[in-house]
Amino acid sequence: MSASGLPPDLLAMMERGVSVIAGSRDADMRPSIMRALGSHVEDAGRKVTIFVSRRQSRQLVQDIAATGYVAVVFSEPSSHRTVQVKARRAVLRNAEAADEPVLARYLASMEHEIQQVGFAPHMTRAMLAHKIEDLVAISFEPEVAFDQTPGPKAGTRLFGSSA
Amino acid sequence: MNTTELGDIRPCLEGAIPAVMATCAADGMPNVAYISQVYYVDEQHVALSFQFFNKTRQNILANPRATVLVIHPQTAAFYRLHIRYLRTETEGPLFEGMKAQLAGIASHTGMQGVFRLLGSDVYEVELIEALEGEPLPGPPPRSGMLTAVRRCSERLARCASLDEALNSVLATLSDFMGVRHAMVLMLDSAAQRLYTVASCGYATSGVGSEVGMGQGVIGVAAREKTPVRITHMTTAYLYSQAMRSSFEANVPDIEVVTEIPYPGLAEPHSQLAVPVLSAGRLLGVLFVESPNDLEFGFEDEDMLVAMAGHLGAAIDLMHASTEAPETDSHARPAIRPEPVEVPRRQSQTERAIHLRHFSANDSVFLDDAYLIKGVAGAILWKLLKDFVRHGRTEFSNRELRLDTSIRLPDVTDNLEARLVLLRRRLAEHGPHLRIEKTGRGRFRLVVLRPVVLDETP
Repeated sequence: MSASGLPPDLLAMMERGVSVIAGSRDADMRPSIMRALGSHVEDAGRKVTIFVSRRQSRQLVQDIAATGYVAVVFSEPSSHRTVQVKARRAVLRNAEAADEPVLARYLASMEHEIQQVGFAPHMTRAMLAHKIEDLVAISFEPEVAFDQTPGPKAGTRLFGSSA
Repeated sequence: MNTTELGDIRPCLEGAIPAVMATCAADGMPNVAYISQVYYVDEQHVALSFQFFNKTRQNILANPRATVLVIHPQTAAFYRLHIRYLRTETEGPLFEGMKAQLAGIASHTGMQGVFRLLGSDVYEVELIEALEGEPLPGPPPRSGMLTAVRRCSERLARCASLDEALNSVLATLSDFMGVRHAMVLMLDSAAQRLYTVASCGYATSGVGSEVGMGQGVIGVAAREKTPVRITHMTTAYLYSQAMRSSFEANVPDIEVVTEIPYPGLAEPHSQLAVPVLSAGRLLGVLFVESPNDLEFGFEDEDMLVAMAGHLGAAIDLMHASTEAPETDSHARPAIRPEPVEVPRRQSQTERAIHLRHFSANDSVFLDDAYLIKGVAGAILWKLLKDFVRHGRTEFSNRELRLDTSIRLPDVTDNLEARLVLLRRRLAEHGPHLRIEKTGRGRFRLVVLRPVVLDETP
């Protein structure tokens, strides 16, 4: 286990940059969802930042701003290895020029990942296309994590007790 | 916000790129999960595969609202579906259609044995959002699909016999849809099995080969009266070489030899079977397959369903017209029979054809080679006996229907299809014994060599 409680292989996968999907919900418990266009995992998994497009994710951004609740899935397309982390105190900020190297590294990793499952890089670039001024950075410390790789171990709690 | 209809985003529902779904627990914690299948039910409903008792499952039972994100596999455009859980189906057409598709998806993604369909969760689609983005240009719309349906309809409308109708459908598939391997199977309602009456693109025609209800994509399509489509090779639906017909169990000695090999591809990668229905009744199955992955999309399915509908109506109309009681016994047949020129030159030098009938299952062997069995076998035996005893060569469907020795299951059984099967099996065995159509509901037995009949109880 790493310091954050994530198994080292899953932490390494999250750090490298794989598919990232974020969800939240509004006061009426209506769920919201969007694919992140970048991710940055720091401090051995204790700090996670994901980037979403505001114009694609108005409800999600609004829900996280209002409730702080977020659920984020990291998944490696070629192996289906999947981990979900959740938190109740996510914070938002606008992305800025300083985030661009992180986003570029993420795109490069994703081009490679998606190519493994048979899609050319131009598909990945279209999927992750964005303008930096449209991006919102969502940061949180995971409170709980689950292994969600399809199979008998799916849903196993990796650490945390809430949710 | 754009208004997008479910029909507009069907390419996103083909399973090429997995969808993701957000739900919310009773305690307010959201959950995100990959879902292998978002299945188009109709314009207002989708069904998601229920494969595991997981957090998503708990959440939707507690709070039926869910949001699904899908992506177009060619343009990378995103769409968000706001859906509400209604119910779970664990059997029936929707379940079986999804189960077959899931088997293909599982195989494609290396998840065989992991993905097992426990139920089809049906959701009402409340809203579809087309998200802003920078999508790639879409593929050009497929042209010619409607033209192909038109050609099929035109060809079928001109057909005066089931033989022609079957050939028309196979020709349309080959001429306009690029289909290389296809079969039409008809239902034997008494035996609850399907028998091949026409095929194209196989090393052997396989006419007369049988598939049980529920067996492979053909049998599932028949049993559930629903299209079944597999876009990737999967072992789950392959036909084994050792298909045994249960109704022959009482005659084990000839069971093996009366097995006409199923002609299908040994390693199909895409398969599509659609039921041929008329007035809600199953008549048979139209089946196409390909050695390539992803050969048949939802448009091909739509197209084949339309063709199967035309074929079903045509079969039923022909069935009705060939079975109608003749009000005028002197009515001329639609096609005037040629002057009977049956060369019954029983010359000593010409080798006789030996035919043996096993009454246990009405199987008939021609010169020791298995020819046919069941209803078609009984028909052939009656024709041959009438020929040998009375020299008769002209027959009508109606008299076969009334002949108790043939044991036709009931009036809904398609006698014409049995005759097509018999005619084609005879044609594959050489030119000396044939059946020729002479008019609507009328045909002629052509015997070009002496025949010797041998009855085995």
